[in-house]
Amino acid sequence: MTLFRSMAIRMALVYILLICGFGYVARVLYSVQISRHDELFGKAQNTYTTRIETHGTRGEIFDFDGSLLVGNVPTMDIVGDPANIYILNKKDNEKTETECRMIADFFEKNCENVNSDEVFRRLSKRSFISKDANGKEIERECHYAVIATGVKYETAKMLKEKVKELAFHGVSFTSSYRRNYPKNTMLANILGLTNVSYDTFVPIQGIERSLNDAMTATSGSMVYERARNGRPVTFTNSKSEPTLDGYNIFLTIREPLQAIVEEELDLMCERVKPHAAWAILVDPKTGDVLAAAQRPTFNPNDRGTMTPESSANRLSELAIEPGSIMKPFVVSYALDKGFVTPSSIVDCEQGVWKYAGRLLHDTHNVGKVPVTEVIKQSSNIGTAKISVMMGAKNLDNALRSFGFGQRTGIQLKPETSGIFRPLEKWDSLSVSRFCIGQGIAVSPLQLARAYCMIANGGYKVNLRIVDRIERGDDVRVMPVIKESKSIFANPTTKKMITDMMIGVTEAGGTCTDAAIEGFHVAGKTGTAQKVINGAYSNRYYASFVGFVPAEDPKFVLLVTCDDPTVGSRYGGSASGPTFKAIAERTLKYMYVQPQLSREEWLAERSAAQKALHERKVREDALVQARREARDRQLKEQQAKQTTKKTGTTVASRPASATKSTTIRR
Amino acid sequence: MNQFTKKTNSPEPGVEPGHTQTPWVAGLIFKMAMMMVIIAAAFWARVHLNDKTEQLAREKNRITKEIQEKRTEIQTLIAQRETLRSWDNINSKIKQYNLALRSVNPSQVRYMKRFEGQVSAPSQYNGDTRVADTSVGADRTSGGVQ
Repeated sequence: MTLFRSMAIRMALVYILLICGFGYVARVLYSVQISRHDELFGKAQNTYTTRIETHGTRGEIFDFDGSLLVGNVPTMDIVGDPANIYILNKKDNEKTETECRMIADFFEKNCENVNSDEVFRRLSKRSFISKDANGKEIERECHYAVIATGVKYETAKMLKEKVKELAFHGVSFTSSYRRNYPKNTMLANILGLTNVSYDTFVPIQGIERSLNDAMTATSGSMVYERARNGRPVTFTNSKSEPTLDGYNIFLTIREPLQAIVEEELDLMCERVKPHAAWAILVDPKTGDVLAAAQRPTFNPNDRGTMTPESSANRLSELAIEPGSIMKPFVVSYALDKGFVTPSSIVDCEQGVWKYAGRLLHDTHNVGKVPVTEVIKQSSNIGTAKISVMMGAKNLDNALRSFGFGQRTGIQLKPETSGIFRPLEKWDSLSVSRFCIGQGIAVSPLQLARAYCMIANGGYKVNLRIVDRIERGDDVRVMPVIKESKSIFANPTTKKMITDMMIGVTEAGGTCTDAAIEGFHVAGKTGTAQKVINGAYSNRYYASFVGFVPAEDPKFVLLVTCDDPTVGSRYGGSASGPTFKAIAERTLKYMYVQPQLSREEWLAERSAAQKALHERKVREDALVQARREARDRQLKEQQAKQTTKKTGTTVASRPASATKSTTIRR
Repeated sequence: MNQFTKKTNSPEPGVEPGHTQTPWVAGLIFKMAMMMVIIAAAFWARVHLNDKTEQLAREKNRITKEIQEKRTEIQTLIAQRETLRSWDNINSKIKQYNLALRSVNPSQVRYMKRFEGQVSAPSQYNGDTRVADTSVGADRTSGGVQ
């Protein structure tokens, strides 16, 4: 019984101990598994879970047919791990230094723009001082030192192999890419450029800036549990957010046409040595900008070529007084509203006219001529008289209906809306000056758009330079924004103004140099004085704008020369030949069939020349007849006076009388 | 009282002496062995599967990396191609090798009737009814300024 009792006690003790033990374990388990579960699970997860961010690539820019204009070139960054380089030779500091020097020298020898001393300095920095959460200074190991960035892919690949062979430890290669402009200066001012700041592209100007949101890639991430070697454990949970590359941008630009425009612009710059020059080629039906070039320009791959002059986007940001190229808008409005007809006679006052107390001059002395001749001979006085006849309100309506004072809708930022005062702020002179392109400032894009409206029959169309954006199957086409109603109420207005503009390139016009064999070219010259420090200077903007073929225009082309210094300063002489060269090559590129055969075209030209000659002969005869009549009259008067005074007849002085009848400036 | 340890003088009818506990123990061992085999098989299958998955993942990573490298190479080649295709470059080559190139003249292009009432012209045909003097088989003549 005693034995059983002692056994029972011992058993009870064991049970109690076991129960206590289990109780403790249960308590710990409860604490670990339930009370502190989230805290401990989080800690554990942090230890074996990795989150990596993945970055897509920035969208590229192509021309309409998919030719690359701005791309991404794969490069590699070479990075050192100073702490690891030292670890290998921890016991021997001298040896470590030798290794650092070896690495630095190796990369200086094999990479561009690497300085051995600088790399050595970076690699030698084993640790750095930083502050912990409590603000206490602690020494941390340095694991990141840049050796070289943006190394060409092929070079980096070769270096990687060599580094393996030489057994450099603590050197790693990371993939990156840089923006590349394979066509160099072509379209540089429109495409713009980017800078890089902490692995992020910062757009500076042009398409790169205005479509930055679309082109920027969306970063993704991946959260996974890693094995001891750092690789993801495949049979555990992992979460990932996809990375999205930026949209690729397809412009309306045609690279071959762009090349033509750029080449001819360069030739023009060699010929007339201007301060600046630009040209725009637009499809009048859709408002698509087919080519746009300017000089001076820069090479985005070589930032050393960038200056404020060369990097400015003159086409959308510059507002200038356009000069005579404004005349067709006023005349077309006057024709449309019935103020004049092509045959209405306008007295151009032989080159000098006083209005609102100020004199207005013409470059040619023009007398009484039909409206057609006003455009053909680019008479300031004739246009001003038509404008005065229309009145300020109608002139304001006319210019605003052609889009002046408004942006063109092109996807380029910033874009100027020009300077066009509201009607209530006009002075008495405005009505006679705005119509000839003085006192109003417009951008080259606005001018091109306005001429598109004449060319397409009066339909207001927004300019487009971005045709579509694409990302895989996601294609978004930018719509053509064109008003359905023409600004011309009269369906014959377009033909009337076009015929007048054809006259500009025919015999007797201001720019016969722009005529193209086999085609009717409708155009207008413009020579505008530059405003410098608030006053008109002796420098000029020489422009020529037109569309070909005149009857069914395939394109509108504007060529402007800012301050030509060699040869003539007139639009017809400075820009006209370049217009012709670009238009001719563009027509060939577009396979536009000539409207007339060579014989027909020559016959037409000689007929126009003959008509001009006949008109000149007629005019000369008329002038001669008038002169003779005046001389006769003068003679008779003098004879009468002499008879009255002396009773005898004396010789008259016809020469002085002739002089007095001719007005010259 | 444990009935399994109770000794009886006479064996139960139909049961051979010496074989009393064999079927039960063997059954238990067999069952346990089977269970262990199943567990081991399941365990092995799981390990094998994980190993296989891991191998495939490694293979996938390797191929992904290779694809990535190929893509990078393609991207580099595209950049080179576009640089070579740039008009600057072509123009410099034309000048360098003094190539007598000239641009096409639209007058070279002729559209003509192949069959009655049918015009062998692309969309650019604009009603020009002139017929080429030579080569009725081709839409475009061999060249030369008209």
